[in-house]
Amino acid sequence: MENSRFKIHFLPNDVTVEIEEGKTVLDASYKGDLFINALCGGDGTCGKCKVILQSGREQVIPSSHISEEEAKKGYVLACKTIIENDLEVFIPEESRLDKSQILVGHFPQFSGSQAAVSPGIEQFKHSPLVNKYYFELPPPTMDDNMADFERLCQNISSKTKIPSEKLTINFSVLKQLPALLRSCNWNITVTLGSRGSLFEIIEVQAGDVSAHNYGVAVDVGTTTVVAHLINLSTMETIDAEATYNSQIRYGDDYIQRIMYASQNNAMEMMQEMLTEDINHLISTLVKRNSLNIHDVNAIVCAGNTVMTHFLLGLDPTNIRKEPYLPAANFVAPIRASEIGVRINNHGLLYTMPCVGAYVGGDISSGVLSIRLDTTEALSLLIDIGTNGEIVLGNKDWLVCCSASAGPSFEGSGIACGMRAAKGAIEKITILPDFEVAYKTIGNVPPTGICGSGLLECLANLVRSGVIDRTGNFQKGINTKRLRSTDDGQEFLLVDRKETAKDKDIVITQADIQNLIRSKAAIYSAISTLLESMGMDVESIEQVYLAGGFGNYLDTRSAITIGMLPDISISKVHFVGNTSIIGAKMTLFSTEAHEVAKEIGAKMTYIDLMSNNKYMEEYVSANFLPHTNIEKFPSVAEELAVK
Amino acid sequence: MEIPNVAEKWTSSVNEITIGATKEKGGTREKTITIGGSKCIPFMDFDGSHGHKPVIAMDVYDTPPDGWPETLIKPFADVLNDPAQWAKKCVEYGADLICLKLEGIHPDKGNKSAAETADITKAILAAVGVPLIIWGCEHDEKDNEVLPKVSQAVKGENCLMGVVTQDNYKTLTVTCLADGHSIITLSPVDINIAKQVNILVSEMDFPLNRIVMFQTTGALGYGMEYTYSIQERERIAALTGDKLMAMPVICDVGHEAWRAKEAKSEDSDAPQWGPREERGPMWETITAMSLLQSGVDIIRMNHPKAVAAVKKCIDRLY
Repeated sequence: MENSRFKIHFLPNDVTVEIEEGKTVLDASYKGDLFINALCGGDGTCGKCKVILQSGREQVIPSSHISEEEAKKGYVLACKTIIENDLEVFIPEESRLDKSQILVGHFPQFSGSQAAVSPGIEQFKHSPLVNKYYFELPPPTMDDNMADFERLCQNISSKTKIPSEKLTINFSVLKQLPALLRSCNWNITVTLGSRGSLFEIIEVQAGDVSAHNYGVAVDVGTTTVVAHLINLSTMETIDAEATYNSQIRYGDDYIQRIMYASQNNAMEMMQEMLTEDINHLISTLVKRNSLNIHDVNAIVCAGNTVMTHFLLGLDPTNIRKEPYLPAANFVAPIRASEIGVRINNHGLLYTMPCVGAYVGGDISSGVLSIRLDTTEALSLLIDIGTNGEIVLGNKDWLVCCSASAGPSFEGSGIACGMRAAKGAIEKITILPDFEVAYKTIGNVPPTGICGSGLLECLANLVRSGVIDRTGNFQKGINTKRLRSTDDGQEFLLVDRKETAKDKDIVITQADIQNLIRSKAAIYSAISTLLESMGMDVESIEQVYLAGGFGNYLDTRSAITIGMLPDISISKVHFVGNTSIIGAKMTLFSTEAHEVAKEIGAKMTYIDLMSNNKYMEEYVSANFLPHTNIEKFPSVAEELAVK
Repeated sequence: MEIPNVAEKWTSSVNEITIGATKEKGGTREKTITIGGSKCIPFMDFDGSHGHKPVIAMDVYDTPPDGWPETLIKPFADVLNDPAQWAKKCVEYGADLICLKLEGIHPDKGNKSAAETADITKAILAAVGVPLIIWGCEHDEKDNEVLPKVSQAVKGENCLMGVVTQDNYKTLTVTCLADGHSIITLSPVDINIAKQVNILVSEMDFPLNRIVMFQTTGALGYGMEYTYSIQERERIAALTGDKLMAMPVICDVGHEAWRAKEAKSEDSDAPQWGPREERGPMWETITAMSLLQSGVDIIRMNHPKAVAAVKKCIDRLY
């Protein structure tokens, strides 16, 4: 017997979805291609997918995520609402995933805090992975009777110094070659793509179109996907665009997504989601800059190992099973069309090499971007995202590890947390009288607070004495901002009257504990890595902080809360999104691509979970700034700790 | 052949704390107890002085204890309803201190009031001349209600009061600071948390040399080795100069040992284990003696036979 089907009408989008009985409202929203925030992937744990039932159901039962007041208004969790009849559902603003909300390319500057600096990317010889050359071939005669393809190869070889035996040609290009050469009087532009040790003639075009050569660098993040459009002949970045990773609906972290994909036989769907996100970004960039998608010949993707697997359609299942093995760390270039990425039909797609299951192409890309592999100074690269990856080393050696810091510095799992998008509080100060000054991205009324704001907020709460060194709110603080709710205490940051959504922005006791756990994971990973190399904090000469937070960070606050070791601020460099910078360098230079491969192979992975010191380091770091204050002399002074 | 000198050179020592106050010091105790001061790992006195001898505190409950086996009840049968007389008996059995365990204030176990508890405490002080440890019921709200009143009632007696934890330390810390008592900081078999609680308490201006540390105790067969290794690490931390870990240590041996089925099962249930009259006190003795080697300054105990055996060992070994 077939299940009955019901109509779900979504507002304000005015989309009606027909779906069978027993599915959830969240399922229906996916079917209608509507974006509802469901960080936990529909487990009912995150409580972010609140929607309002406007008609179709009489009574709503309050739950841990739905307050009594909300229940009266008809709020439910979309993932826990089973469809039994026709419904009218309103998606409130806070539950929508607005694809246009992600910040790109804006580097707000603040006094006392650091804006991201872009490491120099002109270190390598300009030799794009895919290059275009213009040739005026000598027409054949009875005396000069070399065949068309060999004639072409000979000319390419003499111009590019690539031996002709390393040149291959796409068969469909060869088929059209004789007619093409003769139609344009032997004046042609050749597109040559690097395929490891070989070079492929991807395309032959009439006349001189060698200036029309574009590429795309993509940072395939677990949370966001960022693309930069690049002119490969001038090495100039033309434009940038970002979007949420559509896989978010199947889980906030990649382990949840692997589980979802293997349990629901959804590998292909996961791949499609990523390629669609990338296609959407590329077509937006191409249209906005009035280019022809046909002239985009190369794409370089940097992502963690799991994202790289999903993108290429490789099965990531074994990554989460002992002994934690990827299908491949390095995958040779493929034709973009093979996985559904739309650029030039013959265009090539390159992925940054991974190191292992938990350290991926985004990190080899990061190491490449700051040339950690050539620095004399002992350096630390910290890339903070849902996972915190850390690389330690210099030109002689590189070790790395991955700490599950959790997504709290991305604003996830935090009551009023949000990603670094317009309306996010990115800078915040708590004044001596406990009043709060803040600044939002885009200077609009605040909607929530993002990673950099959360970090500074935590540092300010401890500086002002609102919380003790375990992170518990203190008693006897003379301010109305500190108040009690059913879920414990919270500190009011912004009154609802000032906010965009008429909702107080607060930081709760649970938020503070989450943030402390995240920072402890990062600090203990750093100290475990140092200890396993027999080194101490003093031996670190440079620290590069990348990713995660947004585009600016108050490094002093990062030390005050004990996320970074107590080192001179002058040693800390905030380097922004190093994943995409490395991808761009690769796009510009075949040589950089080779170096990235070497970096991937050179890094030694240290597993923290099997390291018995890590857990103890972690508990020790679960304090502000640390149980052993002597490790933080400058913070001891700052907080006047005896 | 010359035997090499393998003695360690420790840089620091365990803090000394005196519990109890005599008339001259504003209290009513006939004698005071000083603990700590060790400059070596226990029984390695070639490294340095072992400081003051470990002492034994015998438990007295404010309400007749629940679930005690007959072996344990017998020596106190006539006094279980009278904490003051019970304390007197403990002193006769050789207790260096009395530990008043306020089980009866727990909302589920009698919910005794602060005033009633203060009276019991004062009665004990009147009955015996040894110093007093006052131990709450570990129900945060009730402890915070009762302990300050008790503390005030015995102000000047320099008691040792506890316990405070990471999540509940402010009320008792302020109280002990005001009334001149020392304090016990609790951590759940975790060396880092031990230090964190000490930091929290000391950041309220509570002097470090009035703190005693307590790691939840595990009895023989029930996690004793965890307690042992944490306490050993605490001692090493103290000796190597960590001022925030230089506190003397207290153990709750009696209560934990007598929860073990090996200590309390009736003879008919386990004839192969020998008579309970023997094995119960033995279980307690072995737990105490083992933990002493990790570095303990105060042991809380229950059975007079076990107390006598451990005291004898301490006197012979220290």
